Amino acid sequence: MSPVVLVAIALITYGSRAAAVVLLPRPSPRFETILGRIPAPIFASLATATLLSDGGSLIGGPTLGAAVGALVVSPARSLLVCLIGGAVGYALSALFR
Amino acid sequence: MALTLPAAAAIAVFGTLYGAGARGVMGVPLTLASSLLVFSGALQFALVALLGAGAATLPLLLTACVLNLRHLVLGAALRPRFESGSLRRALLAFFLVDETFGFAIAAGNAAEGRAVGAVTERTLLFSGVTCYVAWLVGTLIGALGGGLAVVESVAGAIFPVLFIGLASLAVTRRSHVVRALAAAVLTAAVALLLPDLRMLAPVVAGVVVALPGGDR
Repeated sequence: MSPVVLVAIALITYGSRAAAVVLLPRPSPRFETILGRIPAPIFASLATATLLSDGGSLIGGPTLGAAVGALVVSPARSLLVCLIGGAVGYALSALFR
Repeated sequence: MALTLPAAAAIAVFGTLYGAGARGVMGVPLTLASSLLVFSGALQFALVALLGAGAATLPLLLTACVLNLRHLVLGAALRPRFESGSLRRALLAFFLVDETFGFAIAAGNAAEGRAVGAVTERTLLFSGVTCYVAWLVGTLIGALGGGLAVVESVAGAIFPVLFIGLASLAVTRRSHVVRALAAAVLTAAVALLLPDLRMLAPVVAGVVVALPGGDR
């Protein structure tokens, strides 16, 4: 890969980040309502994606245990509590593996 | 904001893996330059895989376009919360990645009234700089031959935990829980049936489940 291609890729990446944040006007209230619904599903989807292998099957082991631990305590709606739950889940899975 | 540190540590570990993997296919200078200029783990790992397979320029550029599509959605979701001018938003845009988006949304949700914009922007900047530095340091260590393979497994476990925590913070209505569960199922289905589209599945699923119905 040449430096020129790398710069082009960097520009594409920055452009995709800036397009909505810089160029778009503030959305209408109706569109804003729809946008407000997006974060929770995206985070749930990203969590799911990190738990799947390349073939689409669920990964096992301590990583899955950590996710289960975080999920169990997620009703507390605290990132710190989720991290602690994840750590406990990870440790228990590694212990009983 | 201290909660960004576990994510930054995990990002540093993945940066090390990226640096170690990339230096063989693009050399140390371009490996460092890629992290400095691109700052996108998913895309950079994909580029290394493509270059390793002998890909030409066009597939690299197309991959960059496709994988970056999700930034349009993340940026659109953040845009209503920003109150500053276009120059400051242009600076903040560089730090828009999955993790920093999550931290900014969560901090904005916790803030009240007129403070939402300032808190969201400040959190995006702080978490962005933290994660960026972690990614650069990790890349540097990996590119120079260091290794943290022992902690790779622990680092890999941080991301699902982080995103589950961020999802719980983003849920403010019962309908959000239903949408989040639907998006998770949709993502799993896409990953299973169309594995090539796995990287785009989270954003597609997030948008698809956000469109129908009202809020309860």
